[in-house]
Amino acid sequence: MKVLPAGSSSGALFASVPPSSPPPAHVPAVAPGTSTTDTPRDALVPAVAPGTSTTDAPRDALVPAVAPGTSTTDAPRDALVPAVAPGTSTTDTPRDALTLSLPEDASTHGHRIDELLASSHRFDAVLIAVALGWLVLAVWRFHQAKQAASDGGTRRSRAWVLGLALGAFAVVDGSLLLGSEGYLRDVLWNFHVPAEDPRTVRIEINAHQWSWEARYAGADGRFGTPDDVVTWNDLRVPVGAPVWVQLVSTDVVHGFSLPHFRVKLDAIPGRVNQTWFQAAREGAWEAACYQHCGTSHYRMRGVLTAMSPESYATWLREAGKQATQAYDAEDLAAHWGWEWKAP
Amino acid sequence: MSLFSSDHKAVARRYLWSGLGFLLLGGLLALLIRWQWAYPGQPVPGLAWALPESRGALTPPAYTAVFTMHGLIMIFFAVTPLLFGALGHFVLPLSIGARGLAFPRLSVVGFWLYALGGALVLGSFAVRLGPASAGWTSYPPLSTPAFTPGLGQTLVTVAVLCAGASAFLYGLNFIVTVVRCRAPGMTWGRLSLTVWGLFFASVLNVLFVPVLAAATALLLMDRLLGTQFFIAGAAAVGGGGDPVVYQHLFWLFGHPEVYILILPAWGMVGDFVAFFSRKPAHGYRLTAGAMGTVTALSGLVYAHHLFTSGMSPLLGRTFMVLTLLISLPAEVMYLNWLMTLWRGSVRLTSPMLAALSTMIVFGLGGITGLSLGAVATDVPLHGTLWVVGHFHLTMGAASFLAVFAGLYFWFPKMFGRALHEGLAKAHVLSSAVLFLGVFGGQLAAGYAGQLRRLYDPYQYTYLKHLLPLNQWTSACAFLLGAAQVLFIVNLVWTLARGRAVGANPWKVGTLEWTCAPSPPPAWNYDPVPEVLRGPHALSQPEVLAQLGRDWMGQAEPMPDAAETEPGPVDAEEPGRVSTSGGAA
Repeated sequence: MKVLPAGSSSGALFASVPPSSPPPAHVPAVAPGTSTTDTPRDALVPAVAPGTSTTDAPRDALVPAVAPGTSTTDAPRDALVPAVAPGTSTTDTPRDALTLSLPEDASTHGHRIDELLASSHRFDAVLIAVALGWLVLAVWRFHQAKQAASDGGTRRSRAWVLGLALGAFAVVDGSLLLGSEGYLRDVLWNFHVPAEDPRTVRIEINAHQWSWEARYAGADGRFGTPDDVVTWNDLRVPVGAPVWVQLVSTDVVHGFSLPHFRVKLDAIPGRVNQTWFQAAREGAWEAACYQHCGTSHYRMRGVLTAMSPESYATWLREAGKQATQAYDAEDLAAHWGWEWKAP
Repeated sequence: MSLFSSDHKAVARRYLWSGLGFLLLGGLLALLIRWQWAYPGQPVPGLAWALPESRGALTPPAYTAVFTMHGLIMIFFAVTPLLFGALGHFVLPLSIGARGLAFPRLSVVGFWLYALGGALVLGSFAVRLGPASAGWTSYPPLSTPAFTPGLGQTLVTVAVLCAGASAFLYGLNFIVTVVRCRAPGMTWGRLSLTVWGLFFASVLNVLFVPVLAAATALLLMDRLLGTQFFIAGAAAVGGGGDPVVYQHLFWLFGHPEVYILILPAWGMVGDFVAFFSRKPAHGYRLTAGAMGTVTALSGLVYAHHLFTSGMSPLLGRTFMVLTLLISLPAEVMYLNWLMTLWRGSVRLTSPMLAALSTMIVFGLGGITGLSLGAVATDVPLHGTLWVVGHFHLTMGAASFLAVFAGLYFWFPKMFGRALHEGLAKAHVLSSAVLFLGVFGGQLAAGYAGQLRRLYDPYQYTYLKHLLPLNQWTSACAFLLGAAQVLFIVNLVWTLARGRAVGANPWKVGTLEWTCAPSPPPAWNYDPVPEVLRGPHALSQPEVLAQLGRDWMGQAEPMPDAAETEPGPVDAEEPGRVSTSGGAA
């Protein structure tokens, strides 16, 4: 479990947090980044969300604990302890209240969605301007006019309506459809990329009320073995390599999203869903649940840290060793990993 | 008039009062959500009596119940009952020249089923653990007793079944009434667009509400009888069921439902822009055809709600194409409305202002939905307030404004008294502007990534900067709530001492205005009128010349009847333009 409270988040902060429901009887196999392997879950649940206090004063006070913009590579004191403590802070560029744009893009392919969305919105703006301009002009020009036409349009005017609608449809919907199809073909539904890239990192994610449990295969490259590295609300990926996620849920439907990587996928009990993405640069960004999953849905927050391939490898190696040492064959609840599903 | 009267106008009034009551309740719940996003966790003024332990602050469990009940109440107990229960029951038989609904007693049963559902909804607020809290979609397994154990969730599930049964019954009733009970001469081409909208929506009710009922009934069995239709994985003892089946069933109903909520609104907009531009609707047949096309397509697009559910690429692509396709008939219809305004003589009455406002908010809502219809652009926006803003503009703001367009238009016919025009216009305009503020703010917040249904969005670092925006949006929402006082004052004042009106204050030609007094008597028409022309016979030169007015009743013979008696041949003759656009 990777979400020990950062130094600044005292227990008092959570005094006003309403009670969450009892945690699952789940003890993480390994807690990367800390030396304790037996941290009881309930002690950690409130820590999932530092800064979540319902009194608003301390919310901002928490953030400066780790200076925004701190990169994980600036302070490689120990590969196991990133400078940005996962679960506490992220590397988002601070934004002005009036900055209204998509969350910043930290992925290799997200810009294609962003560009498609931008071009689609330009068309939308034109449509809105035409429709509203026409409406306002018509009302202004024909307000209380002395005479009104007595017909319901001519064959010609109706043809114009059909033609205009078809034209707008072809341009606006057509470009959206083609752009979307290109992204689906090249990225979103193209699992050849992660399947064929030797650097691909495979992660199994198990969603719970209310946390993200992630499993890495460890040195042997196989899931469900003693050297599996399991983290809580703490995803780590190398920069520049495809990350292939397979996703399940233990209890209810959750939604796994990485807003800065343009990733969204439902976690549904009884099935394994998959998606993939690639981090373009180092930093730490948030993972969020987007499907209502119960009272503490809003606290189902994790942090994804994109690291240099070297520090990622170091971390995985060390964490794998610790996991092997701490492996408890009888802790059945911890053995939820599955054989990687071929696409 | 007794509470069990089966006169369609009495049933309509019952739906009107209960629908307005639930609209108020659903609106207040919406304001609680907005409060929470503007001042997270701070006590809501005046709510300490309901939540004494937190001194009036919303707790996460209370918050989940609030947004769940807001959605369910607005859809099943406020907007649908107002559009169909109140306006539909009142207008549909009158508009087609019927003396009542085809099955009057069924409409009474339907209302009382709805009332029973409403009572269950209200009662659910009083039980331990509160009302439903699994979201209006009630996705299992969250909505099963393992995760939402309270009695409230069960009561509300039953309430949804009741509302569904009621919707099915009036859907059936409306279809049979339109097919079988039209006055002589009321051909399909002479129906008002409102009736077309209600008719198509009724078809959707009859086809798809049973799907919801099936899903809800299976869910209820999962809750009460220990079945596992929708439970799978570790949560299920034996596995076997599948939560995704529920999602498909739910949205197979859920997406047609948004068209159920907007088709009557489209119909009213089509009629009102014609009435108050004083000219026949442009492309009447195209518009009715477009509404029919949307109806036909509406059951084939639902899975865009499930683009992120891991569905097969083949399904994803299919639903993407079908979803985008449905925007074509909507564009045709919209352009026809604009063309109707053009070369008309626009009168900005309160129903017209409400219809134009509906056009504006619906236009924005429709266009912002395009990016949700394509898989790639849906990914960043899925599950965010962008979606919330989009569907609230269409089925929230547009349906709301259309309800008030209809209410302001038919109120004189319903009660024989005219609402105060100034107050009505102020209500419509302020509501429209504030709707744009509220849902525009939500679109902006959603574009920046704010996810739906978060008790405290600001614990995410990447959403912290949105607090001021959300506070502005909430301020608009509170003002929007306050603006409704204009309507309440107007309503109470008018019912008490409003000006009595004649049979046809709007000077239009449809049957209810030209063949019946305000309010109409028990059997509407005696004798039943013989319809001679379409609903939009406005500014016809021969009428102007002979009668000196720009409107003509649908069943009103010309003084020299032989000359203008329309034959069926007219409609097909290209040269005779006045026969299209509902003038014939």
